[in-house]
Amino acid sequence: MDFDIQLVINSFPLLLAGAVITVQITAISVGCGLFIGMFAGVARLSKVWPVKTLAAVYVDFIRGTPLLVQIFIIYFAIPLATGHRMDPFVAAVTACSINSGAYVAEIFRAGIQSIDKGQMEAGRSLGMSWAQTMRHIIMPQAFKRIIPPLGNEFIAMLKDSSLVSVIGFEELTRRGQLIIARTYGSFEIWLTVAFIYLLMTLTISRLVDYLERRYKIDDKH
Amino acid sequence: MISIKNVHKRFGKLHVLKGIDAQVSEQEVVVIIGPSGSGKSTLLRCINYLEEPTEGEIVVDGIPLTGEANINKVRAEVGMVFQRFNLFPHMSVLDNITLAPRIIRKMPKAEAETVALDLLTKVGLADKARAYPEQLSGGQQQRVAIARALAMRPKVMLFDEPTSALDPEMIKEVLDVMKALAEEGMTMVVVTHEMGFAREVGDRVIFMDEGRIVEEGTPEAIFANAQEERTRTFLSKIL
Repeated sequence: MDFDIQLVINSFPLLLAGAVITVQITAISVGCGLFIGMFAGVARLSKVWPVKTLAAVYVDFIRGTPLLVQIFIIYFAIPLATGHRMDPFVAAVTACSINSGAYVAEIFRAGIQSIDKGQMEAGRSLGMSWAQTMRHIIMPQAFKRIIPPLGNEFIAMLKDSSLVSVIGFEELTRRGQLIIARTYGSFEIWLTVAFIYLLMTLTISRLVDYLERRYKIDDKH
Repeated sequence: MISIKNVHKRFGKLHVLKGIDAQVSEQEVVVIIGPSGSGKSTLLRCINYLEEPTEGEIVVDGIPLTGEANINKVRAEVGMVFQRFNLFPHMSVLDNITLAPRIIRKMPKAEAETVALDLLTKVGLADKARAYPEQLSGGQQQRVAIARALAMRPKVMLFDEPTSALDPEMIKEVLDVMKALAEEGMTMVVVTHEMGFAREVGDRVIFMDEGRIVEEGTPEAIFANAQEERTRTFLSKIL
């Protein structure tokens, strides 16, 4: 079979535009996920049981069900209940953010738990509250440690965001599908799409490596 | 200053403190000695509620400890120095010392830094204000930890084996700082294995074993003339 290089060249700008949207949706989702996850992760360690339980239920539910099903629930099921149609972009970002938040929560929890117990005791013994100690002493140290797993979460979300193509949201994967429907160039287009994903994930993992090294040096200060 | 009444502490089935009664007066230096596992560190940690007593009552500076309700207020008056220093590694020495006064006492930054530099001078580390904990030796870190606790202007200082994690040649510099503090009239409760310090600086020595206070008295009485066989056995092994 022939590899139609012209088709790749012609489709490339359209696919790249899709890739930009993929990056956007990933960045917004992981950004929101970071915010949700920070609170959910801290909540998981709370001594107040309703807070702790609520956070645990959220994390377990999201991590225990497929992202694809979560997207369907948000895009199809919830509008049925509320009677309002949802914009595919909003639905995609909402689903991915809520999903990412659960994974980030676990990252935060592990990061916080990795900080020596004596740090919390030292903060508390000076008269600071649990929240003050968390904010000024535990969190700043935990943040540095969770950069690598957060980078991995970003890469995972970048790839998983391809699932929002099922609700017709035109990110990279959906763009590929649409071009194939028009040109039947399945082979060329899927390889090109895969190549673009690979390029993005490699770039991010290099960036994470760099940040990790920089903070390691910083830690020594 | 500190009153401890019938305090018990259980960790699950483990009965660590079995009814402790003790008093610490203002300006008194009380040294707690005893074998590992005798409950001396647990008792010290109960005084500022890092461990919650299972039973009994502790009153610090007239305030009964009742848990989260007033614990932060009490802790602000009670300085604690840990075996493993527990300095905040992501902050400079100066920030380590000024953090709590700024947050809790709402002290302005400039004032907090003046106080911190005074304290650093006192512990002999004025030139290390901008250093990070990792750049300091163990003895220096522990002296910073003492300065950090003093920055809150506590009424009582608790020391939990402050020299046990130190190389031998650094022990003296920390003990000297503690001695100077005692001479200034600070109320202190010290858990330690440094018998020289107990003898020289302590006003009273408490010997604990298996969760109980076996014997207490002046350093002379304990070290030269212990009444209990258990105390004599312990001292004969370490002196």
